[in-house]
Amino acid sequence: MAEKRKYKKRYCKYCESKVDFMDYKDVGALRFSLSERYKIMPRRLTGNCKRHQDMISSVIKRARAAALVPYTVTRKAVITAPFENLR
Amino acid sequence: MRNYENLVIVKPTFTAEEIQSSINTIEEIITSNGGEIAITDSMGMRKLAYPIDKNERGYYHIIYYSIAPSAISEIERRFRINEDLLRFVTIKYDTNREIIAWNKLVQKAEKKAAAPVKEEAPVAETPAVEEAPVTEAPVAETPVVEEAPVAQTPAVEKAAAE
Repeated sequence: MAEKRKYKKRYCKYCESKVDFMDYKDVGALRFSLSERYKIMPRRLTGNCKRHQDMISSVIKRARAAALVPYTVTRKAVITAPFENLR
Repeated sequence: MRNYENLVIVKPTFTAEEIQSSINTIEEIITSNGGEIAITDSMGMRKLAYPIDKNERGYYHIIYYSIAPSAISEIERRFRINEDLLRFVTIKYDTNREIIAWNKLVQKAEKKAAAPVKEEAPVAETPAVEEAPVTEAPVAETPVVEEAPVAQTPAVEKAAAE
């Protein structure tokens, strides 16, 4: 009983900043909910609420269709990506 | 009438004039079907996230307009026939919240269109202010974070100079 919480309580960052609408062209803002291989991060890891997770997932899919965000990343690209970020 | 946004990617192999003419034809398709273009915003030549028809780059152009919903299918049909386009994305702004967002996006685009006429320093300031709330929320990696300080520094220097 009364099992200790192992991790910090997660909260929705979008709720905190009261995001009502996300723009698919703003790629930098989408990066939070994408893994390094550009998969959509699950809610259990990001702590997003259901409403914002639904929003972000549809927005990311739009950005993918518009070739702003890749669908998949090969192993080679994953290795080169961190250096691009550092620049 | 309903608000829409259309993003089109024009082939990168064209010259600047050819790109301009193909964009004009695209806008004409919208206006000839009874649409009212609010504002257009060209993001310019960008690297694509993945190659489309073996093209690594593309010219991004965004059109904000309002049109009767029935005309969209005709516009999309014409876009599909058009061989100048690599890709197009049509987005509907229907609910109240989305319409507010649409108005904001149009204003932002207007600002951006008006900006180059003025000095460069105020131009750098405005996006930094707009982006600030966005950057705080997500853990926003490199591009936005990097831009913000770069954009701010000239403003600060200018203030110091004054």
